[in-house]
Amino acid sequence: MRDWKAIAKATGSPLAGKDLDRLTQPLEALEKLFRPLANDLSPALEPSVEFRMEAGVE
Amino acid sequence: MTIREAASALRDKRVSPVELTTAAISRIDRLNSKLRAFIRVLPEYALSRARLAETEMASGRDRGPLHGIPIAVKDLFAMRGVPTTGGSRIFENLVPDFDSTVVERLEGAGAVILGKLNMHELAYGVTSANPHFGVVRNPWNTERSPGGSSGGSAAAVVANMVYGAMGSDTGGSIRIPAAFCGAVGLKPTYGRVSRYGALPLGYSLDHMGPITRCVRDAGLFLNAIAGRDPHDDSSSRRPAIDFVPDDGCSLRGLRLGFPENFYFERLDSEVESAVRGAIARAESLGAEIKPVWVPDISALNAVGQVILLSEASAVMEPYLENRASFGADVLTRLDQGRLIPATDYINAQRIRRKLRIEFDKLWSDVDCILTPTTPNTAPVIGQNTIRLGGRDEDARLATTRLVRGINVLGLPALSIPCGLSGSGLPVGLQILGPAFDEATILKVGAAMEDGGVGIPPCPLS
Repeated sequence: MRDWKAIAKATGSPLAGKDLDRLTQPLEALEKLFRPLANDLSPALEPSVEFRMEAGVE
Repeated sequence: MTIREAASALRDKRVSPVELTTAAISRIDRLNSKLRAFIRVLPEYALSRARLAETEMASGRDRGPLHGIPIAVKDLFAMRGVPTTGGSRIFENLVPDFDSTVVERLEGAGAVILGKLNMHELAYGVTSANPHFGVVRNPWNTERSPGGSSGGSAAAVVANMVYGAMGSDTGGSIRIPAAFCGAVGLKPTYGRVSRYGALPLGYSLDHMGPITRCVRDAGLFLNAIAGRDPHDDSSSRRPAIDFVPDDGCSLRGLRLGFPENFYFERLDSEVESAVRGAIARAESLGAEIKPVWVPDISALNAVGQVILLSEASAVMEPYLENRASFGADVLTRLDQGRLIPATDYINAQRIRRKLRIEFDKLWSDVDCILTPTTPNTAPVIGQNTIRLGGRDEDARLATTRLVRGINVLGLPALSIPCGLSGSGLPVGLQILGPAFDEATILKVGAAMEDGGVGIPPCPLS
């Protein structure tokens, strides 16, 4: 599980105390849902985003 | 009056475009200080467009059912020479020198744009309590939220300021205000409507669509705005069709899915009762109601949050030095998004593909799926938590719980009003369909509307 407070501090967030809690608590809740899904991915599954070759040809 | 009724009145010369526009301006003058639905009203511009429509129609040029009809657009659609704020101080001086494709197509269809509508700041929230341009209020009860982010669009339509309005939907932002305000809201398939010229929030989640007073009017809007746009690489090459359901369309032969999991958990009892009543009515109108087990919507919602946090912060990163220009809730979410690692964003897009494949299998069993749009009716303005199923939930997460995941899938979704609570607040029914099958969800919505599913007009005078 990610330590969002440590990540916030490492990226230079000026927030501390309750302000930092307000920032990180929703991420901690999201983490509990998201991390098991991410850990369950098979290596062959590619992302949904597409690079569109047709861009700019019209 | 609906767009179809107004269009008929125009062609019968019972009213003129200038008269319709003048009446709309008077209504806005009277109500906007209370509802704060508009950020900017364009009366002179609208009247000049109405006069043009009148001249064209008198000379036999008919651009179709939107010709001469007063509408408005959420203030994130670029209009040449008109400030486009996105509901934000960051963009308050942004004056585009081009029209968004949506505006270009609506004006090409002859619609008269009356102004730019208020919204949640940057479309990044569900209250439309805008700290810069005023708190939008629900026309059914002005102490209540209209929902968001397209709250001004829904309020303006329901309060009869305009006949229809454009909104955008990144995690429910058309369907939520439509449900809370008792309007029809259509989120078309991702790629059906060009995003060109609309201020982005989440590139891969943003959908543009109408909010109207009836289902067929939403079809009229979609007819005008759908189709390939070379300015938007994600726009589909599928040919646009006539999306307006036939008069007398029927539910017979249609298989409507009734989710046995997720969508009917932790609902306000009045919402549940109204939605179950609408589904029973659909069955009595000839539809086959089929129980379905939907894939993991909680997972879809989590994926949607990771993608939106990442994409929105990427969009707004150049402006984040100017912290005092953001409202507190939006700034918090933008700060959160900056912390999401690239690996999480990529993995969210990988999970997205997996869930989309799982969800697509449903469409071999059913033609549409019926759900509540929101688990609750409109909360009081400023209310941060909602009690549902015996526990308190964050109001934003509760409000988006039944709609956010559908943006991850890119599927079309329609919200129609299906009842009023005991305190007189609208309840929304959500109709989900397969990709690019807006025609079927509109047909289902129109047949239910014809069959008596709906609410009386808003009493705001």
